[in-house]
Amino acid sequence: MTRLLPFLLVLGLGLLDPAPAVAVTADAKQKILTAASKNLIEIGLSYRGDQIHFFGVNPLPGSDVIIRLTAEKQEDVKLSVKGRVGPFWMTVKQYEVSGAPFIYKIHASKPLERIISAETAEELELGYSAVKKKMQLHLARGDAAPEDADLVFKGLVKIKEEANLYNIVQDPKRLEEAEGKLFKHYFRFPSAATEGRYLVESFCFSKGQLVGYGKDVIEIKKVGLENWLTQTSQNQPVFFGIMAVVVALGAGLLVGVIFRKGGHH
Amino acid sequence: MEIYLPIAGISINFFLILGIGGLVGFLSGLFGVGGGFLLTPLMMMIGIPPAVAAASDSNQIVAAASSGAFAHWRLGNVDFKMGLIILAGGIFGGTIGVQFVKVLRAAGNFEFVMKVVYVLMLGLVGSAMFMESLRTILRSRNQEAAAAEVAEVSEPKLGKLFAKLPLKMHFHRSGLYTSAIFPFSIGTTVGIMAALLGVGGGFIMVPAMIYIIGMPTIAAIGTDLFQIVLTSANVTLQQAMVNKTVDLLLALILLFGSTIGAQFGAKAGKRLKGEQIRILLAIIVLALTVKIFLDLVLTPSDLVSLAPAKGGGH
Repeated sequence: MTRLLPFLLVLGLGLLDPAPAVAVTADAKQKILTAASKNLIEIGLSYRGDQIHFFGVNPLPGSDVIIRLTAEKQEDVKLSVKGRVGPFWMTVKQYEVSGAPFIYKIHASKPLERIISAETAEELELGYSAVKKKMQLHLARGDAAPEDADLVFKGLVKIKEEANLYNIVQDPKRLEEAEGKLFKHYFRFPSAATEGRYLVESFCFSKGQLVGYGKDVIEIKKVGLENWLTQTSQNQPVFFGIMAVVVALGAGLLVGVIFRKGGHH
Repeated sequence: MEIYLPIAGISINFFLILGIGGLVGFLSGLFGVGGGFLLTPLMMMIGIPPAVAAASDSNQIVAAASSGAFAHWRLGNVDFKMGLIILAGGIFGGTIGVQFVKVLRAAGNFEFVMKVVYVLMLGLVGSAMFMESLRTILRSRNQEAAAAEVAEVSEPKLGKLFAKLPLKMHFHRSGLYTSAIFPFSIGTTVGIMAALLGVGGGFIMVPAMIYIIGMPTIAAIGTDLFQIVLTSANVTLQQAMVNKTVDLLLALILLFGSTIGAQFGAKAGKRLKGEQIRILLAIIVLALTVKIFLDLVLTPSDLVSLAPAKGGGH
């Protein structure tokens, strides 16, 4: 029922909005009315990731919808590339990758290239090739080769897709649209999606032109013990380190004593 | 039952971690090794980030080793004097080793050299120990009627040489009277190797204590566990302060499993003969060698992978 509520709300607002599509020209874009089933995800002890439903009203019924999930924070990663050295396989070079999004998911009603041109895709950063253009490689070790950019990007996408942090779904079943007007879908936030602010942006295109745009912000934060442990480890590292050692020593000796009492002689 | 690990930043099955901890703890109690060689790759396999895996493992090793060391201490297997001298040598050697690594890394293909040395050395130690313990087992089987208390290992030649040096002292538990320079230099050598190879060193230390210093197997294990408690406590502290990657929750679940495992390991060790423990340890060392060798030779499924973070230091 709680999940249905914002859905109904959006539906109602959408109906109240008087004929939003009429005034749309190629350049003007309208705000897409959107809502999320919730805007805050709390990470507790038993957190295993979460799922949020999103709803929106297409300002120009029948236009194509693309939705993108990204994180506010950037993440720099270091990737190792293996190669042959004689008969052996080993890390031959390392790249520091910056500018690649931490999370990148896209839902579209049909393949992106059938909705927008390559230029528009790049301008709005929609699709993997746009992500690749933004990504910067810095060689940390080894010798660079021309095909490295492709290799590293494909490797990164694979790692991210396996963690369910990247994906692109171009399927009308995944992005439902009721009578071409009301669209709904959900994003799965894997447990690897850490604390921070996440952006869900909806784009509507008509004949390749952007006609509507909407944005929702989702916040993920740790609570209770999870929050305390994280804060302490980052802000009071000396105290945290000593605590970790003392707890480990205590636990080890305690188990030793318990076994001594329970053990047979 | 899933549980969210705050620093690792993922949720994972509670019983899976508990089981892995128990297995590693058992091996640790039985062989006197830290178990980091096994635990870190296992943790990475189930999706824990490398830096967090390495740091949290050292934290749980504090618990497993202290539980094991306590059990061995009660059984009278810890030579504190020997342990502290070896430890001092180990810290000295580790410091030298880290400098070595810097120079080698600047010079070029360090990783290649390191892995080859690792495979060769582990293979050598493993097969030598395997042959020796197999011979001992066969011999004692033949001489069962005699039931004579045969010395576990023949007196090492290097030991005789060191016995002539100054700073002589008694090591009661180990039954040795030798120069303090001897265990110190063994500690230094193992410390250098551990820093070069990026391992804790229990794997090299226990065979070195048995075959080079000439300690009884069970005393070598108890003493090594004692010094592992101190070294892993130091590494945990360094990791927490420098990298901030110690996941206490992960370590707690692991140590819950491993401390219990270590107790069973120590008990199992008491039931087995020295040569039986040595042959089991030799088999594990050899299996590890084969695994590292295969990693080097087989075509990897993914050419691109996340680079492991730098260790916090040994």
